[in-house]
Amino acid sequence: MTASQASAPRKRTPRKNRRWTKRSRRNLVTGLLFITPWIIGFLAFTFYPMVSSLYTSFTIYHVRAPSEWVGLANYQEMLADRRFWKALYNTFYMVIFAVPLMLFGSFLCAVLLNLKLKGQSFYRLVYFLPSIIPLVASTILWVWLFNTNNGLINVALGHLGIDGPSWLTDPQWSKPALIIMGLWGMGSTIIIYLSGLQDVPASLLEAAELDGASWWQRLWHVTIPMVSPITLFNLILGVIAMFQYFTQAYIFAGAQSSTAASGGRVLGAPLDSTLFYSVYLYHKAFINLKFGYASAMAWVLFIIIMICTIVLLRFSERWTYYGEEA
Amino acid sequence: MAETMAANQIAASQARSSRRMRKLLERTLGYTAATMIGFFFIFPVIWMFFTAFKSDQDVFRFPPTLLPHAVQYVDVAGERLPLYTVSPPDGEPRKLAMVKVSEGQGTYVNPDDPSEVFQTRARYAEPVLTVQFQWHNFVDAMNRGARPGLKVNFWTYFKNSSIIAFFTIIGTLFSCSLAAYGFARIHWPGRDVVFILVLSTMMLPFQVTMIPLFLFFTETLHWGNTFLPIIVPSFFANAFDIFLLRQFFRGIPEEMLDAARADGASEFRVFWSIVLPLSKPVLATIAIFTFLWAWNDFLGPLLYLNSPEKFTLALGLQDYQGQRNVAWNQLMAASVVFTMPVMIAFFFAQRTFIEGIKLTGSKG
Repeated sequence: MTASQASAPRKRTPRKNRRWTKRSRRNLVTGLLFITPWIIGFLAFTFYPMVSSLYTSFTIYHVRAPSEWVGLANYQEMLADRRFWKALYNTFYMVIFAVPLMLFGSFLCAVLLNLKLKGQSFYRLVYFLPSIIPLVASTILWVWLFNTNNGLINVALGHLGIDGPSWLTDPQWSKPALIIMGLWGMGSTIIIYLSGLQDVPASLLEAAELDGASWWQRLWHVTIPMVSPITLFNLILGVIAMFQYFTQAYIFAGAQSSTAASGGRVLGAPLDSTLFYSVYLYHKAFINLKFGYASAMAWVLFIIIMICTIVLLRFSERWTYYGEEA
Repeated sequence: MAETMAANQIAASQARSSRRMRKLLERTLGYTAATMIGFFFIFPVIWMFFTAFKSDQDVFRFPPTLLPHAVQYVDVAGERLPLYTVSPPDGEPRKLAMVKVSEGQGTYVNPDDPSEVFQTRARYAEPVLTVQFQWHNFVDAMNRGARPGLKVNFWTYFKNSSIIAFFTIIGTLFSCSLAAYGFARIHWPGRDVVFILVLSTMMLPFQVTMIPLFLFFTETLHWGNTFLPIIVPSFFANAFDIFLLRQFFRGIPEEMLDAARADGASEFRVFWSIVLPLSKPVLATIAIFTFLWAWNDFLGPLLYLNSPEKFTLALGLQDYQGQRNVAWNQLMAASVVFTMPVMIAFFFAQRTFIEGIKLTGSKG
């Protein structure tokens, strides 16, 4: 959209042998001085850790001894690690079910908000409000709402004559519970969609209406293609975020351990059903202190995210619409 | 002829009214759906709020009610006794104060006339519940905290979160605006290539750098259990805020900067006294979002802070939840306190919030 045009390089008169004029040399020094904070940050907090973590992924870390080079052993171990595959499965479950559901849900909410109902700004406030509650607080709130016996959800289901499941202790229901909670906190996606809907030219919709297109046809043939770049953006961000899903699962697991006799936090509880990729990585790194294995997992995660992004961008060419100029 | 005209008119008016009917139906459906979905969003928030005011018994009362209820107490001859509705099978229900219950047999007195004593099976008596807000939950929650033995309470966590948020905002604003100016307003060779590098760092998942950073901060610099590993990186700019600021800086007319440069102002002076004052809206947006991010952050504090006196609110709340016998009313009260600063920021700067989110969305 507008931003992508702006970030394209400015038109400059092409000079084949650009001389290093005094001015451009001075500008180089000033420019580099201005971006010094970023350069230091990049080297210290991005570049060095990347190289280091790649190296670490080929080693076994010892707390009191130098780490030991093991080649691809960590990666091979991953292939045979059943909990690794379980974590990957759980993560893909969320990517495949939660992300599209959340996109669909937020689009639906944005369409409702865009109906120009009276009190629109009030509705917008209400839809947005949950997403500003700090994640730890809102997850704890949902643990309370999902309480099997007298949590609000099961009491409400009971009024409808439904015997609510044990959301937090039944491995079949823990992920759906997380998805419901995710749907509740998607306010910012709704706002992004809403601003996209407001940018759909009214003239296009009116023209379609004059041609006899129904509300549904206008939505399907005009609005949805017009907001498709936003869908792509939200989809990619959603997938990336889901691969790094951590805090909510960590808090959910805490609800388990507080009832467990052993005490302490059992990550992934119940029965590894909330053991997501990033949760397992954290567990391997900071509880088992297997920094080598965890680094290897991090690089595999990076590669998976890259592949997913590339695939989504490739396939998006078929269904995204970037206006006439593209 | 006249007949067909009349028929046409009728048909037209029928079409009009059917269209009006459809519009009305659409609106009604729209309101119904919007309101129902609105309930899904708002009700848990309200529930959190009211749970924070419930008494310890009321939290686990079944079926739960929205409003906090507690047993009503009456003063009977200088003693505070709970009020019960006593309805024996062979008599009228009466409101009596309970004196004692032993072996299923209850002793009750008339609160207006303490000499009138009444005995019956305790199961015929139901406590009289009235709506009562337990304000002291907030005081208890904040004062008690997670680790009573350590003189640590939620105020400690609140203070820690505030310190981290404050310095993170300062660091982010300072470093990102400097860097963004370098990318937006100074033409230096190689700038666009470096900027692509900046943007590409946004693709990197935190997990990749997490472990080396942890070892670097804790083993090399010995910054474990301090706020430094969380605060210091914010002083070295992040790609996302550089991008937002650069977009804004590019919109400032070149003539304004050139005028200052012609007067002999240094580039830093141009940045400091012309560009920054003009950029207040976007700086406010970034300040608010950085606050939100720092206030919410869980993984950073989880990695680096391990003694309760250093915990942030996010960490303290989680620690509290992980203990056995959770007091849900106090946990909700602490959550409300945790959420309050964000809510206040949101209500004062609603427009900034909404615009900021649109800004992030439109960068696609």
